[in-house]
Amino acid sequence: MGESFRQSMTWLHSWAGVVIGALLFAIFWMGTLSVFDREIDRWMIPDTRLSTVAAPPSLDAVAAVAVGLVRPEHRAWLATLPTDREPVVKLFFQDSEDHFESRFLDPATMALLPEAGSWAASDFIFPFHYNLNLEWMHIGYWLVGILGMAMLVMLTSGVIIHHRIFTDFFTFRPGGKLPRSSLDLHNLTAVVGLPFHFVITLSGLIIFFSIHFPGVVPIVYQDKQADFVKEAYGVVQRDAAGVPGDLASLDAMRMRASELWSGGQPYFVRIWHPGDANSYVEMRRSFPDTVTMNLDAVYFDGPTGAILHTHTAKPVMTVQRFLSGLHFIQFEHWTLRWLYFVLGLSGCVMIAAGFIYWLESRRKRHAAQGLAGVRIVEGLAVGAVTGIVTATLAFFVANRLLPTGATVLGYERYALEIWIFYLVWLASFVHAWIRPGHAWREQGWTIAGLAALAVILNGVTTGDHLVRTLTEASWAVAGMDLALLAGASVAAFAAWRLRPRAAVSLSFKQPAE
Amino acid sequence: MSDWLLFIGILGTAYLGFALLALGQSKHRRTVKAADLKTPFRSAIPRCLGALALATSLALALLRDGPSFGALLWVTVLTAGAIAVAFTLAWRPKWLRPLAVCFV
Repeated sequence: MGESFRQSMTWLHSWAGVVIGALLFAIFWMGTLSVFDREIDRWMIPDTRLSTVAAPPSLDAVAAVAVGLVRPEHRAWLATLPTDREPVVKLFFQDSEDHFESRFLDPATMALLPEAGSWAASDFIFPFHYNLNLEWMHIGYWLVGILGMAMLVMLTSGVIIHHRIFTDFFTFRPGGKLPRSSLDLHNLTAVVGLPFHFVITLSGLIIFFSIHFPGVVPIVYQDKQADFVKEAYGVVQRDAAGVPGDLASLDAMRMRASELWSGGQPYFVRIWHPGDANSYVEMRRSFPDTVTMNLDAVYFDGPTGAILHTHTAKPVMTVQRFLSGLHFIQFEHWTLRWLYFVLGLSGCVMIAAGFIYWLESRRKRHAAQGLAGVRIVEGLAVGAVTGIVTATLAFFVANRLLPTGATVLGYERYALEIWIFYLVWLASFVHAWIRPGHAWREQGWTIAGLAALAVILNGVTTGDHLVRTLTEASWAVAGMDLALLAGASVAAFAAWRLRPRAAVSLSFKQPAE
Repeated sequence: MSDWLLFIGILGTAYLGFALLALGQSKHRRTVKAADLKTPFRSAIPRCLGALALATSLALALLRDGPSFGALLWVTVLTAGAIAVAFTLAWRPKWLRPLAVCFV
């Protein structure tokens, strides 16, 4: 053991980091943005920039609109109720293969809002961070699961190979040579952020335990797997009768549920088999002021409104729901939300600084030995770091430029935004490989330009410029614009610091410590 | 309002705590151009006070938000505070000199 164990861990850490760092950065970046997913949604879907309503809307009024939109292939519809962060009723229509179509309702007028035309953050950025939008065969979930486990290995091996965790706890020498300062920054963000990085990765894995450990449920529950979802998540299933039936008052059911939950309110209601005599209603309790995402549910018989089943999570699931809650931050706590955002960004910095250290500690040797490794990995790093940021900003800019109902080659507007994201991301890798030595700086300027452009376009296309959003206190849109401007400033400063002259003095002229 | 004051208190004590821990280390005392602490006993003083400040930060966080949110708030604030101290030492070491020279 001893030195050789540490050496083998160093080898593992640096090579695993190079291989999976690009995807880890993508997951951390998209996860960090997901902290403000509802706010990004408001920015990208301007029709939903409504003021919050004081009282929850009538569920019967929501149902009156929803039944008009239900088609025969829909086995359920559900509505999430407005919150401070999402001031709309979101209607979903679920088909037999569990595909969801969604529409927004204005809770004050019950008017159906125009189709969103964008997957925005809730349907693109947020799923990207747990399945890379690769739905086929759950391959994305598996890939992210493997990367999550690899991340835990990276954190552990990183702690093992770090020579002086406590002596170097606060050490950051930005004036030193680039290998030195990038390693300092990597160590600093990794060590002081270790609790966050560890818990966020572990809880992310635990959320999907039934996907990553698919063999466990069949072993324990044998052929009664419906019992598992019933016992764990309180999901009750009942077949349709095939005979038409009415729906009793949802508002009356909500009052019953609220009594059972000693004043708690549902955050969503789902009507299974709408219009059928065997229809039934699922209501789930909201959790605005607890970390734990409770699984309290009440099921009602649709035609009569009688209670069919009530559910509360059992102890093991309560632990799972606490850890899920730590990860999902669906509670109302702005201070923590911002801290999560900052710590998520620190995770991005950690991965990026790790890449830069890998490159800079090998650059001279690879040049001397004529190896291509640095050039290849540098392209990978640039595309993974500044590339995905550029692509995300292109996604925002496209959102503001594409007209309503735009289609190209049969692709709808929301798909075009996503295509632009992927094409720009791909282009950033190509750019990085054909412009070695310039790619970081040029993509930095691109980021600054696109972020500023996104703010301008938001003002021009929606009229919600910063002066208005700040004076009218529409914080979601104002916050998004301000964050874009802050990002633009950081990117411009970094690109300016990387101007050719500065790069030379940074790498060669400064005295080593 | 008291929520904000308490948050500033939580953040402030976390920053102060880490600053004191850093200023118990001779390498960071050199960075802020303060004299070395001569005996292990004397370098233990800022460290103990630092630990005390971090504990105060936890107490304020629990007071503000209760056990689950408070603990979560404290852990996340700790990270932010430690990064802030490292950045101060890197870019504005003079700011910590007055605190460093309190201990000789």
